[in-house]
Amino acid sequence: MEVVIASSPVDAGIGCWDLHSGAEQLRYRSCTSTPHGLACVGQRFLASSQLRDSSSSSGSILYWSWSKPQVEVKSFPAEPIHPLVSNSDGMYIIGGGSSGAIYFWEVASGRLLKRWHAHYRAVTCLFLSDDESLLVSGAEDGCIRVWSLFMVFDDIGMEMAKNPYEYSFSEHTLRVTDMVSGYGGCNAIIVSASEDRTCKVWSLSRGKLLRSIDFPSIIEAVALDPGEHVFYAGARDGKIYIASINAETTSSNSYGKHIIGTLSDNSKGVTCLAFSKDGILLVSGSEDGTIRVWDAKTHNIVRIYRLAKGPVNNVLVVRRPLYSNRQTSENSHSSFSRRHAPLLPPPLGKYVNSTDENVDSGAVSVPQTPSSDIMDAPYLSYHVLTKQISELQQQSSAATGMEVDRLNLDCKRSVEIVQKWKEMFAYLHKFCVDELLGNDQTQTQ
Amino acid sequence: MARSKPSSSKKQPKRGVDFKKIKRKIGRKLPPPKNATNTEIKSKAIILPEQSVASERAGLAVSKKGLTLKELLQQTSHHNAKVRRDALTGIRDLVLKYPAELTLHKLAIIEKLRERISDEDKVVRETLYQLLKLVIFPALKKDVPGSLISLMMAYIFNGMTHLATDIRLMAFKFFDLVVQHYPSSFFMYAEKVLQNYEDILRKNHIYLQDRSKLKNALVGLVRCLSLLPCNRRTVDPSYGKNTETQGSLHAYELEVPKEHTDFSSIIKRLEDILPILVNCFQDFIPLVHPMSSLDAQSFDCMLYLLRSIDLSVKFFLYGIDKHQTDFGVTKPTYNEKDMPVWGEIATPVFLRKFLEVFPLNQLHNTSGKDEDKFFILNIEITEIFLHSNEWIFTSAILMERFLEFIENLLSGKIRFNSRSGKALQEKHLTSLLPFIPRLVSLVANTWKSRLLQAFTMAFKDCKPESTLNLAFLSAIEEMLLPSKRQGILLLDASEPEILDHQITWIRELPVLLVRLGDTLSSLSKVILHLLLRLGQYAPMNSSLAWEYDIMQHTLGEFYSMCLDDGSILYGPFMKLPKDCQELSVCCLYYFSSLDSLLLRSLVYCCLCDNLEPSVLFRIIDVLHSAYKIGHLQLVDLISFFVTLVARWKVLPGRLYTHVENAKKISNRETFKAITGAVCSCLRQMGDDALIFQIVQRVILDEIPLNPPIDNLCGMLRLLVILDSRPTKLSEQSIIILSNSISEYLIDAASYIPENGDEVTDSNQISICQYYLVPCFFLFDRSDKLLNLVLDLMGSSIGEDNSSLACNHDTQHTLDLSSRIVAVVSILLYMHQDIKIRRRLSSCKGEITRILQKMRLQLMQSSNEMGNTLEERHKIQFSFDRLKIAAGQLNCWDADELKIISLFE
Repeated sequence: MEVVIASSPVDAGIGCWDLHSGAEQLRYRSCTSTPHGLACVGQRFLASSQLRDSSSSSGSILYWSWSKPQVEVKSFPAEPIHPLVSNSDGMYIIGGGSSGAIYFWEVASGRLLKRWHAHYRAVTCLFLSDDESLLVSGAEDGCIRVWSLFMVFDDIGMEMAKNPYEYSFSEHTLRVTDMVSGYGGCNAIIVSASEDRTCKVWSLSRGKLLRSIDFPSIIEAVALDPGEHVFYAGARDGKIYIASINAETTSSNSYGKHIIGTLSDNSKGVTCLAFSKDGILLVSGSEDGTIRVWDAKTHNIVRIYRLAKGPVNNVLVVRRPLYSNRQTSENSHSSFSRRHAPLLPPPLGKYVNSTDENVDSGAVSVPQTPSSDIMDAPYLSYHVLTKQISELQQQSSAATGMEVDRLNLDCKRSVEIVQKWKEMFAYLHKFCVDELLGNDQTQTQ
Repeated sequence: MARSKPSSSKKQPKRGVDFKKIKRKIGRKLPPPKNATNTEIKSKAIILPEQSVASERAGLAVSKKGLTLKELLQQTSHHNAKVRRDALTGIRDLVLKYPAELTLHKLAIIEKLRERISDEDKVVRETLYQLLKLVIFPALKKDVPGSLISLMMAYIFNGMTHLATDIRLMAFKFFDLVVQHYPSSFFMYAEKVLQNYEDILRKNHIYLQDRSKLKNALVGLVRCLSLLPCNRRTVDPSYGKNTETQGSLHAYELEVPKEHTDFSSIIKRLEDILPILVNCFQDFIPLVHPMSSLDAQSFDCMLYLLRSIDLSVKFFLYGIDKHQTDFGVTKPTYNEKDMPVWGEIATPVFLRKFLEVFPLNQLHNTSGKDEDKFFILNIEITEIFLHSNEWIFTSAILMERFLEFIENLLSGKIRFNSRSGKALQEKHLTSLLPFIPRLVSLVANTWKSRLLQAFTMAFKDCKPESTLNLAFLSAIEEMLLPSKRQGILLLDASEPEILDHQITWIRELPVLLVRLGDTLSSLSKVILHLLLRLGQYAPMNSSLAWEYDIMQHTLGEFYSMCLDDGSILYGPFMKLPKDCQELSVCCLYYFSSLDSLLLRSLVYCCLCDNLEPSVLFRIIDVLHSAYKIGHLQLVDLISFFVTLVARWKVLPGRLYTHVENAKKISNRETFKAITGAVCSCLRQMGDDALIFQIVQRVILDEIPLNPPIDNLCGMLRLLVILDSRPTKLSEQSIIILSNSISEYLIDAASYIPENGDEVTDSNQISICQYYLVPCFFLFDRSDKLLNLVLDLMGSSIGEDNSSLACNHDTQHTLDLSSRIVAVVSILLYMHQDIKIRRRLSSCKGEITRILQKMRLQLMQSSNEMGNTLEERHKIQFSFDRLKIAAGQLNCWDADELKIISLFE
């Protein structure tokens, strides 16, 4: 089920609507999200960084599971976190702090794997390239930096290299408001919007500015057409401008060079944009608290949702698993251990852990079949595995003996079952053959 | 026939005496007979334009001497030097006259001409050089296939190895010419050419006599070497690059493979050539030292030698750098085994020896001009030293000498004597300044402070219009901010002395900006860019960031200044081009708390007519953004906005009346846009109620100043947008507002269409709505305000009435009558609006009072002499209309109606 989720800086909760039917789903309560501070972690649960008073030194990140409107897990990082992203399978959460640092957490254990100083000013937006090897961060000082995640964890390499980042683009003069990347991993283009009223198109492969487009108003959000022919720029004046990337530009235009049209319905400023997976429906969040769904082909509004009185500052289109009915059916015959397993991972750590634990950082992810229950995703930290191994090793011989007995019993039982099945099969086979032959006989007769 | 005559006369005496014999004296000339035929033949030389009879040359391109290109080319290989030379000049004439000939036959021409490169005759070579330089190469600039160059090169190389030195040196000159026009050709033949240079320089003692020739060859070498890649320390940062060229970003790009050159061979050659250059230079030194004066030729030679050394050293450095940056990413240009050879071991030995000669000739007291020459040479050597500094271990003593020289240069202790010295000094200082940051970061502490001292002094003394500023600024940027490439700070700002210098530089920047004015906008742009970078990159809560914040006090002058007498002096901001204005506006965003003084000077700029609206909108945008991240006080921002709306000058003149007032129309539209922008900013700020309180307070301060109608309208709009229903306005402010609104409405009434039923200009209606709608909103939200306003309108009629009695001014009565008409039309207009009609019905008392006043007025005016009939009619007419409208309000009971009719 493809759903639109949206949050607001005023406490209106996280709204959730079915994109295609328009039906409102659960509303997740008590969320005052920062811009770009809403993420859906591996389709399993929602996470959002929260606005805090400037007085409080620590930030806060909240988790909601799909099924419950209440906050389930609260974590308090060392400083306020603005943007939040997660990789597609939900292994990691990356957050940008107000001091310019970027935090990298492992979701399953909640450990802070890495914290590094990325910018001179607060980080305003973050995203991962589509192959999830590069992290792109934008900051309040207009600087955009491209990080290779591989390099970030390579401490020796970092020291050797002249600069820790791959590229640093400093052509924007004011705060970067939004960024989006195209397809193609490290060969993609990225489009960035800034408060200096421009959008700039960069090449990740060549590390240079390809185009700079001036807009009549500040652009708050950008979304890239799946074909990368145009990009949509949501402006503070309430219009969504369409700027061409691939078409030859026409010089005479009422808006400016490279801008080929607008989507507009005279609303207040557009704050966020998202494309649906099919690439036709464009979802925009507005300053007036509504969320509009546009048909990008016809430029018409398809649907309007209402979130809050205050502005909307995050809109995401995500695929939500149809777990609810299945969970009930599974719960009826689920194993004892499963019922007690925590649904959501532990809160995120505040500090990078001591060095001895750093040695065995890295998680073991067990690939999951798409049909398996996503809520209990079978991924285990390396720690868990090592713990189990050591437990096994430390157990006394008696315990192992018991274990062996138990296993033997299991084995015997299994063999019996197999035998039963075999008999059953032989019987069925015989039955079927008889039936068929009998039929033939009757026909011939 | 003439000859037959005398013979016949001889015969006749023999025959008889019939004819008398005529004796003729010998030697006497006979008069010509009368019938003699004139046998004189007159002839003139017939000059045929061509010698060959066979060729038909009508319509062919010929030179002045009538020779075709073919013939001329043939003559170039004539055995007579004079003919060859003439042929070359002939080709020149022909090509100048018929440029098409050249493009058609370029291959043939070059093929023939190249043979003359090693011509024995000096004049012929010189003519060929001129021909190639002035005519052929410029004309062929666009399309030169490589084959042409290779055709030439074969003969040039031939010339380079010629026995005659003259020809040899000339060949280098030819090569220089080729490289000059087609730089890429150097790389094709680099190895061979460098080999030849090496040969010629090795035998330099032969040419020491003929220094001008050697100089020519060296000029060529310098040019070639300058084509080699090196780390360019460009002053101009990457901004301002033009990226608009590409039409579509995903389009297929025709990738031209970059000129791939194999540098390894060049490196080897250069390794050989560098010691020879150094030797050559050292050969000159004994010539120099004993002599008191240095002749121009050898000075030039030395200079070019130094330049060549400099360039090759730079190239080596580039190689090292490139090797480091390319580490593991792409295939390094140089082989691994090359690296140590030219990098660290081989070259420095003799270079160190060479650098020992520094400083040249400080002992001799020579004339001023010579001193300049030595000075230039010293600077060149210093440059080489600074380039090589990074990879040579130099002895401390030598280092001291250089550092002292640099310090003296910066502090101006060494100066040029000659007249052009100032410019020269600047030029050389520009070439040295880029090294300062690196040097400062490397040298010992005592020198660090001395160098910084000298640097800061020089920067302070530098005149604003000087070209040096650019170099200073880029050096400062390097020392202040983390460098773009490496992301690390060059200088440690925690050291108090360095910090002192940094602060001095930062303080100097706005001063320089103001002093520059709008004379050098490019330099202003660089300064502003530096300021912006400083704002962006200064670490939070550091002393640099603090210094940046302090800077806003001096920066106010850049925008505008309020003089003591109240007049405003606009700073350079107003006159700078738009990109500079944008940059300076962006700088505002990074002040951690914007000062109200700076805001004030900004407001003056915004209110100036000359400021482009787009910049004004940028200012609003940026201030709003600054507020959002907490760099600006809420109260300050709101008072900025309100002042803007209250004081912005809308040009007078009615919007709808004239087409020719296009400018005025746009001005009012601009004001509308400003109001709109301010409104949207105010609405995005958050808590409406709180902001409303502040806005209300500021506006109430502004209103007693009687702003023009447009500004008042703008302010009312601000109030309306933030207000809610019922109104949040306080009692007191309602009273103040009602005063000005009543006046405002009467003013605005003039925009109400004369007759509501008639179809009038749609533009006019929209203006009228624009003015009245905010009032209607206020009335709708507050009955009290409506009551008060109606009261005041009524009393205003009455007041004038009373004053009329003692004052028989016709102007005043006219005022009064139009005032009455205005009041009525406003009331009628309000009556049309359904919502307001409902409100009006609740204040019938006020309306009745107005009607009474009008009635009174009518009665009085009938007695007045001054009132014309027409005016009376007007008043009567509006009175009737109002009465009908009042009746329609449907709330008067019978008694009241009676009272009104009683008046009638």
